[in-house]
Amino acid sequence: MQEVNTKAPRDQFFKEIENVRHPNETLVKTHCSYCGMQCGMNLRVNTKTNQIIGVEPRYDWPVTVGKMCPKGVTAYQQTNHPDRILKPLIRDDASLKGTQKGFREATWEEAYDLIAKKFTELQQQYGKDALSVFSGVSMTNEKCYLTGKFARVALGTRYIDYNGRFCMSSAAGGFLRSFGVDRGSTLPWTDIHETDCLFIAGSNTAECHPTSMFRVWHVQERGGYLIVADPRETPIARRADVHLDLRPGTDLALANGILNLLIQAGYVDEDFVGNHTNGFEETKELVKQFTPEYTSQITGVAPEKIIRAAEIYGKAPNAVVMFARGVEQQHKGVDNVSAYTNMALVTGKIGRPKSGVATFTGQGNGQGGREHGQKSDLLPGYRKLTNPEHVREVCQVWGIPPEEMPQPGVSAYEMFELMEQKTIRGLYLLCSNPAVSAPNQNFIRRALKNLDFMVCADFYLSESAEFADVILPSVTWSEDEGTVTNLEGRIIKINKAQEPLGESKPDWQIQVELAERLGRGKYFSHLQTARDVADEFRLASKGGYADYYGATWDKIDKQDGVFWPCKDEADPGTPHMFLDKKFYHPDGKAKICALPYRPPAEEPDEEYPLRLTTGRVVYHYLSGNQTRRIQFLRDMCPEAYVEVHPETAAKYQIEHEEVVRLYTRRGEAEYKVKITEAIRKDTVFVPYHFGHDQSINLLTIDALDPMSRMPEFKACAAQIEKREKRAVQ
Amino acid sequence: MKKRLYLELENCIGCRSCLAACTQCGGHEQRNRNYVYDVNPLVNRQTMPLMCLHCVNPACARSCPAQAIQIHETGAVLSALVEKCIGCQNCTIACPYGIPKFDTEQNLMYKCDLCIDRTKDGIPPMCESVCPSNTLQWLTDEEIEAKNQQFNLDNGKWVTSMPYLEGETNVRVNLPGILQGVTKLF
Repeated sequence: MQEVNTKAPRDQFFKEIENVRHPNETLVKTHCSYCGMQCGMNLRVNTKTNQIIGVEPRYDWPVTVGKMCPKGVTAYQQTNHPDRILKPLIRDDASLKGTQKGFREATWEEAYDLIAKKFTELQQQYGKDALSVFSGVSMTNEKCYLTGKFARVALGTRYIDYNGRFCMSSAAGGFLRSFGVDRGSTLPWTDIHETDCLFIAGSNTAECHPTSMFRVWHVQERGGYLIVADPRETPIARRADVHLDLRPGTDLALANGILNLLIQAGYVDEDFVGNHTNGFEETKELVKQFTPEYTSQITGVAPEKIIRAAEIYGKAPNAVVMFARGVEQQHKGVDNVSAYTNMALVTGKIGRPKSGVATFTGQGNGQGGREHGQKSDLLPGYRKLTNPEHVREVCQVWGIPPEEMPQPGVSAYEMFELMEQKTIRGLYLLCSNPAVSAPNQNFIRRALKNLDFMVCADFYLSESAEFADVILPSVTWSEDEGTVTNLEGRIIKINKAQEPLGESKPDWQIQVELAERLGRGKYFSHLQTARDVADEFRLASKGGYADYYGATWDKIDKQDGVFWPCKDEADPGTPHMFLDKKFYHPDGKAKICALPYRPPAEEPDEEYPLRLTTGRVVYHYLSGNQTRRIQFLRDMCPEAYVEVHPETAAKYQIEHEEVVRLYTRRGEAEYKVKITEAIRKDTVFVPYHFGHDQSINLLTIDALDPMSRMPEFKACAAQIEKREKRAVQ
Repeated sequence: MKKRLYLELENCIGCRSCLAACTQCGGHEQRNRNYVYDVNPLVNRQTMPLMCLHCVNPACARSCPAQAIQIHETGAVLSALVEKCIGCQNCTIACPYGIPKFDTEQNLMYKCDLCIDRTKDGIPPMCESVCPSNTLQWLTDEEIEAKNQQFNLDNGKWVTSMPYLEGETNVRVNLPGILQGVTKLF
């Protein structure tokens, strides 16, 4: 527990407020367990029981100044929740897979013995790559780093990937292509309210990143503009100056159409384009066909709205282009990201304060977790497994010969394909719940059932844990310490507020102990604390472009976080990217990308005439494994539903709150209807936080982006049917 | 300097963080004491919070036959005193905003006390502290007056403390329309 007293720059929202101190309580400064905003919070700890009992605002955190969404306010209730798994669980009867039945409590010794035995047997019989690791990024950099090392050094398998493939990988791919570097935001969040125009595409900001909203609204209060592209009139779109109500899956056309107008109207920053970018001429040619009329035909957005949006963005002295899963979770997500990024590059609205490009990172450590080696083809510091020099650098830190480094594996969804084919026979799952969050659930659940042996580390019995042979009790975020990289690219510190509940252990400790059982202890046994892992991880990232070497825990405390890259002790970090107009491609230039339009993988037809899109509600986080257990959040949103426009509802003769059958070529589910005019007539929406037969991912499509391997959660073809009608058939 | 709760209704995003935070005050027995309404749920996502406005001459207290509702020196209209409240629910009927809630098991009224344990020491209430959209703000009278000047509503009225509602309130409210008077930058 450190008392931070920092003099980092404060903006107008900052308030000097002393927290209330209740008797027999101490406050532990930390951040929320959920999304990429990583709102500052103080956990209230009873000094007699040493248990977390509540939350207090963290007024002195410069990004969120005490603000929290309802998930954040109630996050502390996870830690001492009655649903916590307190001891390892083993299930001897494999026929019960896919249910909550048959688990018995075991000792860690017994669980480790069984895992070591099964893993060793599988690898002896089928080779090293018979095992796999499926991970997540709602955990610290230290854990993410060690998970990558564990897969490659302890298990020696090529098959490791993570849930960022369902979340952030398209943003990563787009930024890498456009800038040569993948930092989710080119500017700090404390700039956002000072810009003149926010162009926000595919982000339901008010529900998914609520604590950004006071800055968003402030832009409008200052007389600035808000442009929102979304098929739904979300709470942020409701107040937008221009709401581009596009068809799901047509972002690329919209971005090209706006770029064309920016170029035609002379908003090009010729100097910037000439000196600091490549690809302008080719892109200019390509977007010519995207006239407002043509763009309107594809997107369904009225031409005058497209023209007005381009005019505002073009005129704005400073502007920030922002996007999120709406544009990224498409089978052309990477292209969408680069296409929206083109707007900033062509107009030169980047590489200076108050202007730039940012993605709203979904998971708490979506940024840091993808940089340090959990991705099938990456090593710490955003190094590449395909680059022999990079491999050598990491091998030096790990102490293994380069020839022992496994080859790149496959992406998250493709790992399930290999499970289904029995190429992958064993799985170690942690920090993720793919039995809710992956697309095409009927297939995913079949693949999980098909495994010979599965280990799941979680603090609750998730839908995915129902497929496990062994469940290892891990800790919540509040029972461990480490760093997280928030949506700005700011490395921050999570502090421990309570000892692990029951026999639960942090994931890094589980991995160290398992590595010892697997005979690989000499590469892991020196890691006895989270700080030990942090020190090795900083070293492993050193020299990579996501360089964390200089981001010591002390510096993070003193500076209110450290923006990467941060190369050494003296380096304060990099809040603004590209201030020197140097991009990370070898020639120092950014790439303006010519991107031909492609429709969604599955377009509506006679049989499936509606467009199904999915997303979140403010009360739940990702697969809902955590938030569905919190009373307040469950009370506010207890079940999934389908949003339907009243005219569409009339056509199908369905009513508000009626339960209907929604189906696609891949699956079906029943949902209560929520009628609202705040959605396109050709589109229906279902939140994805719910499991079992409520999971909308039973219906979603497994079309993957060719570069990011991101599934197209945001658009597929669907049909609605009344329940009675089906009964008659 | 004395600060007041100020509601900028147009900012509300319906996250109900204020309700969640209300339970966390420490003195609220984990029960929330305010409201967020969907304004027109079948049409759009507009929402609005309704907190106790802490009337200067509160109808709830006037209607209480047991003098259970005290007014703090800061102006905060407190929750019913446990030892005095007789559970008659007059206050829930008298309040023009429907603020007081009633616990049938305890036969006791409870309501927003503006987090009196905080606000008496100048600490903002929990709902305002967490509000992600700045719908709830904790401002000085000067800051509120500046907003009054800035946001020139086209109905010509600064909608708070209007005599035909419940007289003067300690909490100030700006009804939707915040952007009407804003001059665009370009």
